[in-house]
Amino acid sequence: MSASNVVFAIVVVAAFGFFSYNVQRLVGELQIGRHDDSRWNDLPRRFWNFLQIGIFQKKIFRDGVAGPMHAAIFWGFCVLTLGTIEMILGGIVPGFSFSPYVPRLGYEFYEFNQNVWAALVLAAVSFALFRRLTKRVKRLQGAETHANDPLLILSWIGALMITMFASHATTGIVHDLMWWSHALLVLGFLNYLPYSKHLHVVVSLPNVFLSNTSGPGVIGAMRPMDLESDAAVFGAKDVEDLSWKSLLDGFACTECGRCTSVCPANLTGKLLSPRKIVVNVRERLEAEAKGDHSKTLLDDFITEEELWSCTTCRACVQECPVSIDQLSVILELRRNLVLGESRFPEEIMPAFESMEQRGSPWAFDPGDRAKWAAGMDIPTMAEMAERNERPEVLYWVGCMGSFDDRSKKTTVAFAKILKAAGVNFAILGQEEKCNGDAARRMGNEYLYQMLAKDNIETLERYGVKTVVTACPHCFHQIGNEYPQFGGNYDVVHHSTYIESLMAAGRVPLREDLHEPVRTFTYHDSCYLGRYNDVYDAPRETMRRALPMLNLVEMPRSKDRGLCCGAGGGRMFMEEKVGKRINAERAEEALATGADAIAVACPFCMTMMSDSVKSRDSHVDVYDVAEVVAGQLAI
Amino acid sequence: MDVRFKIAPSGISVDESGLKFDISDFDGYAVEAALQIKEKQADPAASEVVVISLGPDVVQETLRKAMSMGADRAVQLKYDGPIHDSYAIASALAAELKGGSYDLVMFGRMSIDTANQATGTIAAELLGLPIITAISKLDIEGGRVKARRELEGAYELVECPLPAVVTIDEGIARPRYPSLKGIMAAKKKPLESKPAQVGEERYKLDKMELPPERAAGRIIGEGKDAVPELVRLLKEEAKVL
Repeated sequence: MSASNVVFAIVVVAAFGFFSYNVQRLVGELQIGRHDDSRWNDLPRRFWNFLQIGIFQKKIFRDGVAGPMHAAIFWGFCVLTLGTIEMILGGIVPGFSFSPYVPRLGYEFYEFNQNVWAALVLAAVSFALFRRLTKRVKRLQGAETHANDPLLILSWIGALMITMFASHATTGIVHDLMWWSHALLVLGFLNYLPYSKHLHVVVSLPNVFLSNTSGPGVIGAMRPMDLESDAAVFGAKDVEDLSWKSLLDGFACTECGRCTSVCPANLTGKLLSPRKIVVNVRERLEAEAKGDHSKTLLDDFITEEELWSCTTCRACVQECPVSIDQLSVILELRRNLVLGESRFPEEIMPAFESMEQRGSPWAFDPGDRAKWAAGMDIPTMAEMAERNERPEVLYWVGCMGSFDDRSKKTTVAFAKILKAAGVNFAILGQEEKCNGDAARRMGNEYLYQMLAKDNIETLERYGVKTVVTACPHCFHQIGNEYPQFGGNYDVVHHSTYIESLMAAGRVPLREDLHEPVRTFTYHDSCYLGRYNDVYDAPRETMRRALPMLNLVEMPRSKDRGLCCGAGGGRMFMEEKVGKRINAERAEEALATGADAIAVACPFCMTMMSDSVKSRDSHVDVYDVAEVVAGQLAI
Repeated sequence: MDVRFKIAPSGISVDESGLKFDISDFDGYAVEAALQIKEKQADPAASEVVVISLGPDVVQETLRKAMSMGADRAVQLKYDGPIHDSYAIASALAAELKGGSYDLVMFGRMSIDTANQATGTIAAELLGLPIITAISKLDIEGGRVKARRELEGAYELVECPLPAVVTIDEGIARPRYPSLKGIMAAKKKPLESKPAQVGEERYKLDKMELPPERAAGRIIGEGKDAVPELVRLLKEEAKVL
């Protein structure tokens, strides 16, 4: 062992010592967050996410340019880490190599891979640097980003590769110089990470493993609050009120901006940037950890205006390559605004009050809920119960379907299909109340739980098992969030239900082979699509109803679909800043040249038809149920 | 609000089944105005906002709501039957208010069901206190009430010494939405219930009736040929010409 080996051993111990100090510091920072034990269940599912999203970079590849570039760097790092271990051990123990411990062919394969992947990494970082310096990719810009950090990191990685190649290719003093440069760059890199957004190199994989955004559990369900005991702070005002996992999200974010680039609010000129939310969480956490209690995350970092711009469409969450949950932070902060401080846009007050008093966000008489069914001979659950009968399914109509003139047409269309198919169904009529989704997403958990519990009580009273509904918000709530309060039902969205009726040959359709070809484009509802993974049923339903259908897709469709702008309670708020989201979406739909737009959600129906109408277009907007009802043979 | 009422079998009250009760609009403004006065005090904790309501036990829910907005305590003057005479109500309220040594008594300008506008005024008289009615702006300065009343195309500023009675018009303040913190706190605030000492009802409600349903519109015809028939109908049937 030479003096140089000893010096290197000391350097390695110091580097790893400093790194582990930083790891401990960061773990300590995470402990500032709220207790959250929902992160260790269903380990097989978590390993599957880890493999798919982490190791195989499933979401990274959603971007066709940055995807392969990043995958080359990531997989290269995995391979080259082996070489780094060999190098470090070789620096301490003279002449150390893996070669005596593995078959010759194996070692040659390993060496070959070291070179190939180092070359790929070098090419990828060169491309990344070139792209950053010359292309000004929009999603990489933004006031909240640390713009010089990536340039430093990319150059650093490039230097790592070059010194590695150089040390292999040289001998004597030049070799020693290159070897030491490489070794110091590696150890320096390791210790720079905790101070950089590139901490994601270390945190991303655990973050994917611990995330619930792709399961396990119900996707997109909000955390139920214990309203009796959760009384110190409602929702979140600062980092200590957020789950420690939300704080880890801050460490995992590398500011790639994919979330912000798909955010409907951001795209139409609102202040909200989901990336900024995550960056703010980390910034505020670091200040808090240093003892700065003079500011709070809410107000000092994230403003009310940003929070109320969110449509809860989940596009940001869907897009994040490392499974960050931006939305849960937004929603916890909204909870604090509403439950803790009664701060919200004044135009939603009537919706809150009406939901509380009349069980609907619109001030209609609850006695009029079943008015649409006049003359259709549709029984209520109460009427059936009186006759000691129980229907096959409960048709949950929803507030829009009951009171909104346009949506009532969808309601009637769907009821006609159910009758034509001979389905034994009933409605709740006056006993149905708002599902509470808008209240919950606007932060009013108190009102939400009141509505949810009332509805569950009603459903239990009639022993309801199967619920079918034409509203994705009712569908998501009753099916995915009511189980939190003991309501467990088999809930089916009408698009799926109609499709299964058609597949069973129960829907009598006209067989007119001389119909003209119709061109439709289908607008995906967020709560049906991204929240519940229902993309094919509405499309398939229309194909079955219209044999001559030409279905064209918008550039943003299915899990990349753009929100109509009504989710998260935005339906009840004014949209004063920037372009209207429904205008953006309607333009996209009209640009397909389709002669009709299909939707599967009453909120989307309002937003899309309002915007289409406002531009004097002759394009019709239909609900999928109306498309089918129009083809009924009776 | 678009709720249709049904008249109860008694014929003198509304069928309350399925109705959800809330603070009457003007009383809501009054509660908000009271809370703002309290919050403006140098030491808000030293002053107290008390809400009082006369009625059956459902009013307790309304009183809790006022306390969830921030009122400190509540008194229910329990009375179960229908009651219409403002004097009878005011005498029960005055009996309760008399012992309370309140600096300021605030009423809604009127209740939104009977709309009599009399209860606050009668109570002031029974208490022997000055009253300013239907005020849209209120300040307390140096032991005096300074109020603004909206008139048609003008307003007037009125003052009187405390203690006093005021009745509150709209526009004074928008009632706050109770926070969950407030709702939780309200559960622990005192709500006292005692029998109302209702005075003699001097007038009686005989009968309530819904307005007749409007008949559906009729299309007589189109173009100028339809005009003579329209004029005839307006003269003979509608009797407006």
